[in-house]
Amino acid sequence: MRPMKGSIALVSLITIAAIVVATALGSVPIPLGHVLGMLASRIPGIRDFVQGDWSVAREVIVLQVRLPRVLLALVVGGGLSVAGVLFQGSLRNPLADPYIIGVSSGASLGATLGLLFFIPQGLAGFGSLPLFAFAGAMLATWIVSRLGQSRGRLDPTSLILAGVAVGAALTAVVSLLMVLKIQNLTDVYLWLMGSLSGRGWKHLAVATPYVFAGVVLALWQAKDLNVYLLGEEAAHSLGIDVQNLQRWVLVLGSLMAAACVSVSGVIGFVGLMVPHALRLIFGAEHRRLILHSLWVGALFLLVADTLARTVLSPTELPVGIITAFVGGPFFIYLMKRGSGYHG
Amino acid sequence: MVEKIRLDGVTYAYGKTPVLQELSLGLQPSKFYGVVGPNGAGKSTLLKLMDGYLDPQQGVITLNDRPLQSYSLRELAQEVALIPQHSHYFPFTVEEMVLLGRTPFYTRLGQPSAKDVQLAQEAMQVTEVAHLAGRLVSDLSGGERQRVTLARAFAQHTKVLLLDEPTTHLDLEHQINTCQLLQKRAQEGVTCLAVLHDLNLVANFCDYVFVLGRGSLVKEGPPTDVFTPELIQKVFHVSVPSLLHPVTGRPVIVP
Repeated sequence: MRPMKGSIALVSLITIAAIVVATALGSVPIPLGHVLGMLASRIPGIRDFVQGDWSVAREVIVLQVRLPRVLLALVVGGGLSVAGVLFQGSLRNPLADPYIIGVSSGASLGATLGLLFFIPQGLAGFGSLPLFAFAGAMLATWIVSRLGQSRGRLDPTSLILAGVAVGAALTAVVSLLMVLKIQNLTDVYLWLMGSLSGRGWKHLAVATPYVFAGVVLALWQAKDLNVYLLGEEAAHSLGIDVQNLQRWVLVLGSLMAAACVSVSGVIGFVGLMVPHALRLIFGAEHRRLILHSLWVGALFLLVADTLARTVLSPTELPVGIITAFVGGPFFIYLMKRGSGYHG
Repeated sequence: MVEKIRLDGVTYAYGKTPVLQELSLGLQPSKFYGVVGPNGAGKSTLLKLMDGYLDPQQGVITLNDRPLQSYSLRELAQEVALIPQHSHYFPFTVEEMVLLGRTPFYTRLGQPSAKDVQLAQEAMQVTEVAHLAGRLVSDLSGGERQRVTLARAFAQHTKVLLLDEPTTHLDLEHQINTCQLLQKRAQEGVTCLAVLHDLNLVANFCDYVFVLGRGSLVKEGPPTDVFTPELIQKVFHVSVPSLLHPVTGRPVIVP
């Protein structure tokens, strides 16, 4: 167990360092020492020793704007990646992503309806947006999982096909709505591209419980998921209740993905690429894969989001552009490196 | 003699297509059984029924004189191992994959015990994959993968072994090795049942043969009694001469 403890300590250290550095970076650069001081000033027991010589405005930037956004990037990146592990595992398809059974199109429709008809324009209304997106995602997932059954059993192939079909139909509705109601288009468009811009502690509070519970429950199913990779008959002969496992894992993955999408919009590529790449490097054992995906996904999205808000500062890029731009070539490199993977 | 597994009047249909009709048969311990028959005769379905993966629509299957449905999945996995016809190969190392055979014997959050590891090692040795232990299964050849799958089933260490075409991708040497291993397992008390397409392997190694045709049992018995030119003609529509192996005295089936 010793190497395990060592690597947990190392990962924690890297993560804390990344949080501090990412919080310091931005259109208004803030010295690392100030960031550390502001963070320390919020920790009971330490705060009395901190002498703050920074302005209130900077403290607001760090504690109310950047810090929640940085933490949200970690939660969403980790959550999407672990959801990707769950979908790739339960559908036994290395190209599955967290959106494969309709979470993203459902969330998009929910969010679009919300933005166009129910929520006042501008950032003020962003508070209730996650509820619309989450409801849409759950509805789409429910429809797809009903369609993805044959003879009373969930069937991975039917599920994927149903996901594609329902996704296409819902996306068409979103496009139609956008054409009909052009005045709010920017809000909708920015949401669809996926961004962490303007997200605060409230959003973090929405997503974190789902991601945390999801990761714990995913680890609980890790052993069964390993066996399930052998195929349904083989898994059955090793004592796994295959039907039950499939249902559980799909519900779990959908809830995690929906919680992430509802606060961040559709951020592509992370949930597909991170688990796949880590499987190429470390193999398919699920306990390892889930833990690695959690922290690599978290750090990856944090780096991508930090780039998104600093590269063309003060203009912000949608983070989805960065994830695809950085992730695509890296993914190709991994494929060509030729670690064996024949599904 | 005591029967390990018994099927009584078992009927199974996929939708409206009947696959097995009122099939009855019994398997004893310490025997190596072969199942032969043309494509679509219901051989794989028979194995899935015996492993409880499918439930019969009519009839009863008993294991140790107890209905199969009364076993929990985990209890059943400790009694019966199945190698299905098709397997998926993800990037597990050979050792990880063989250790998966021990899954029914430790808990969800637990780790394999020293005994589990030892049984996996033994299984890898007899199936000649020990030297591949650290390699990824997804990098191996078809035949090597098949031997890893066999090792996984051996590691499970059950009293019943069901194998669906375990020799398909193997070279001649390993086909024979596999059959000898199954023979040896049978001598140690295990009930082995293998679906095989190579009638000569069955004739040579099996103690007893079930011939399936269109969902029912056409004939059963020791290979010498079963593999007559008349039966081969009737079931496989191939005419063969009546030949016996000069050394073993077992039937040889060649056109």
